[in-house]
Amino acid sequence: MKKTIIILSAVLLTGVILHAQGDTQKLQQDVAKLDNATSVNDYQQLAAGFARIAESEKTQWLPYYYAAFCNAKTGWLNEDDPDNIEGYANKAEEQIKKALSLLDTATQKKELSEVYCVVSMVNRARVFMNPATYGRQYGPPASMYIQLAKKANANNPRALYLDGWEKFSTPKMWGGDKNKAKELLLAAQQTLAGNISAGIEPHWGKKEVDDLLKQLK
Amino acid sequence: MPIQLKYFCVAYKNKNIMKLLKLPDILFILLLLLGVSSIKAQTLIRGKVTNTKKEPLSDASIILKNTPTGINTDSAGGFSLPISVKGKQVLRISSVGYITKEIDINPQDSVLYVDIVLKEEGKMLGEVVVSAGSFEATDKAKGASLTPMDAVTVAGNGGDIANALRSLPGAQQIGEQEGLFVRGGTSAETKQFIDGALLPNPNYASVPGVPQPARVNPFLFKGILFSTGGYSAIYGDALSSALILESVDLPDKSSASLHIFPQDVGAGLQELDSKKKSSYGVDVHYGNLQFYNSLVPQKPRFFHGPEYLESDANFRIKTSKTGMLKFYTNYGYNNTGMRNPDIDSTNLLSSFQTKDQNIYANLSYRDYLSAHWKIDAVVAYNYDKNTITNKLENQQFQQVFIPAYPYNEKNSIINTESNFAQVRAVITRTFAHNQAIRFGAENFYTNTNYTYNDTTTTLTGNTTAAFAEGDVYLTKNIAAKIGVRAEHSSLLDKTVLAPRISVAYRFADGGQINAAYGVFYQQPDITYLVQNGTPGFAQATHYIINYQKKANNRLLRIEAYYKQYNSLVTTNPAVNDNGKGYARGVELFFRDKRTFKDLDYWITYTYLDTKRMYLDYPSEIHPDFSTPHTVWVVAKKFFPNINLSANMSYSLATGRPYYDMQTGINGKTFISDHGTTNMYNDMNLSFAYLFTMFKKWKEKDFSGIGFGMNNVFGTKQVFGYNYSYNGLNKVPVVPPATRSYYIGLFMTFGIDRRDDFINNNL
Repeated sequence: MKKTIIILSAVLLTGVILHAQGDTQKLQQDVAKLDNATSVNDYQQLAAGFARIAESEKTQWLPYYYAAFCNAKTGWLNEDDPDNIEGYANKAEEQIKKALSLLDTATQKKELSEVYCVVSMVNRARVFMNPATYGRQYGPPASMYIQLAKKANANNPRALYLDGWEKFSTPKMWGGDKNKAKELLLAAQQTLAGNISAGIEPHWGKKEVDDLLKQLK
Repeated sequence: MPIQLKYFCVAYKNKNIMKLLKLPDILFILLLLLGVSSIKAQTLIRGKVTNTKKEPLSDASIILKNTPTGINTDSAGGFSLPISVKGKQVLRISSVGYITKEIDINPQDSVLYVDIVLKEEGKMLGEVVVSAGSFEATDKAKGASLTPMDAVTVAGNGGDIANALRSLPGAQQIGEQEGLFVRGGTSAETKQFIDGALLPNPNYASVPGVPQPARVNPFLFKGILFSTGGYSAIYGDALSSALILESVDLPDKSSASLHIFPQDVGAGLQELDSKKKSSYGVDVHYGNLQFYNSLVPQKPRFFHGPEYLESDANFRIKTSKTGMLKFYTNYGYNNTGMRNPDIDSTNLLSSFQTKDQNIYANLSYRDYLSAHWKIDAVVAYNYDKNTITNKLENQQFQQVFIPAYPYNEKNSIINTESNFAQVRAVITRTFAHNQAIRFGAENFYTNTNYTYNDTTTTLTGNTTAAFAEGDVYLTKNIAAKIGVRAEHSSLLDKTVLAPRISVAYRFADGGQINAAYGVFYQQPDITYLVQNGTPGFAQATHYIINYQKKANNRLLRIEAYYKQYNSLVTTNPAVNDNGKGYARGVELFFRDKRTFKDLDYWITYTYLDTKRMYLDYPSEIHPDFSTPHTVWVVAKKFFPNINLSANMSYSLATGRPYYDMQTGINGKTFISDHGTTNMYNDMNLSFAYLFTMFKKWKEKDFSGIGFGMNNVFGTKQVFGYNYSYNGLNKVPVVPPATRSYYIGLFMTFGIDRRDDFINNNL
């Protein structure tokens, strides 16, 4: 009997390791796909995939983070179809809250910074539903979370990108500044170029930053 | 937890199973765990995912619950998922916009077929909302739906919600009078309500030929429901239309503001307590057009004003998590005196002066009594004192008395003093799927002293109403609103029952069809009740059908209606209620915020065919406040690089009929002359340049310069004709000045409220 238990324990352990590897692999695959995602369809497919991984890895913040990011990004991509944002924003909010609850906010500053970026994006997506009215309600938290993300990790290129995006998109009257935007985006570009490690850690942003810089020329 | 691990835990705990596990089994499982997939016992789950309309859902995700095993559906909604475990499992199917579904499966065979139907998620599309006959502008509007700001930023509205809403379909362009003339109805047939209570005098006291501004700041409202027909049973006493306004709750922040325009100066402040539980505010502004009129000559010669003083105060208290107590009061004074050439003589003048004081107070309370019970209660009070002095004068402005008709009717003093009070409570019981039952009662008290020269008539009346309404959910895409309202008027000594029903059906693509039927009653105006005769409630029956679709930042709405009038007030020869008539029409609204970058525009078209026998009309005729075709184009653009916002509105309407009514020897009126005015067109522009003067201040200012111009092209606008008593002299009714202008400075501190000021002074 004892033997059986030992064998079983060993088996169990192997199973866990194997499985962890399986999920990591899946996550890795999807994160790699994310690098080439462009359309709502791409992001939605990935959002479903990440949600699926999150379902089995309920203690990992990354799958939730990526699922939330894909849904928030869908909200951004639907900027011209404002009736079709709220559902994605709701879903993203639910997922990013889960990701946040899995972090130790005292020590995991880098991770926290990434999560705050997505929280900001969710709020910004809500602004897109109707900037004239939702702007007043969701615009301030959208900016606030960028600042919190920068506070948690001053070198997070995604926080720099979002900050730059905001400076770029806001009319001058309300604090927009194209020069400052360029500065932030260039800094983001530089940081992004500095760490090309394409693992499962959040590393999106190059495409977004490059696109925006093109518009700034 | 990976499934195999769980399997083992279960197996280990379950001794019976342990006993069953022989070494070969353990080896088998071991191999299985080591990932030798070739010998896994696989079941292939195949199937199709569709929505309730049987449309395939691509990219829906299928997961074996609590495992990473899963797949997405293909473009035809199909999937085929190999799983390696047997026994009871849960399959979880989800797709954005649909309610996630879990189904139990028990894979035994090698292939298991499952077809899955997902229901649309409530949060995404929401339950269908019935919207026949109404335009709703709320601060929750998404995409191309209207927000209160959109509604009140129409160029040329002069800070009057009713004026702004004239750019929506259904309203007529009546340039010589304030108010909303909707679908063949008079302005008196449209009523305004604030938080459930009637606002008896939304505008300053009328001046003939000169539309008067609104008393209430249009930025007070977070919700504006403009119903052009078929409105809810919880409102009444409006034959044509209801303008239902919902005031804001607590402000976001404390703020102070001031504005300086040649026509008007004012200042205000809003203070929010530090706990964000309560706020109070005061506003005061004063306007006198003497100076402006000296720069821009007016056709009537104003000997006083027009002069306006307005002040308002409010407090708002959050009484609980869901409870809100709000108080709003305003005081308004206006004094306008003017002279026009007398229509019946070549060298005499007709002098008119109105002095008016009005106090309005509204105290409202709302809260959830429990999870499903809600109360909305309001008390309102209005006092109005109005004195109109009509004089016949010679060129030296001396009053002259000529005993012969019509001159003997040209000197008069009319005093109207009225008190109005309303108490109202509505109880709502909410159910799942946005269903609700609403019921309530209200009482209106009116007391009017009407003095014509030295003769006073006093009228005191109570109108009591009880109403009930149900929001019924039939399916996700079909909803109905069924209501009934009973009203009793002590002045008329009559009780009427008004049923109302409306339904909505939503198509799969989001388009929606609405239909409504309702009966509406209104008491005759006080001026007819003080005369001899016993008119009853006027009645209108509305039939409405509409289609609307919202997508991609665009909104299209088409509505057709038919109305039947009965028991309209007639005055020919004595006051009675044997008037009748009809109105029918088609209306179109298209708004597009997408096609042109940063440009928001809408186009409305109104077709109206109406005839009524009413007042002194000898038969059913097209009333002089109606025209068949009206078109509006409203456009708004912000230029961020130069901090300039530009608003434009253009309206075009066919001519209006006009009549000269004469009284025949039999005492009945007849039409001795009639015609149609020329086409009406009006282009208004307004601009605001925004800046900050004191950037270093802790609460920096948000300032702006607003300027604008109405009737830019200077077209000759004729609203109708006035006739002398003998019908020989015909004088066009035209605006006081061809064009009107404004320019001024506005500043706010603490919160960016510039939009409010720009638009208040359009």
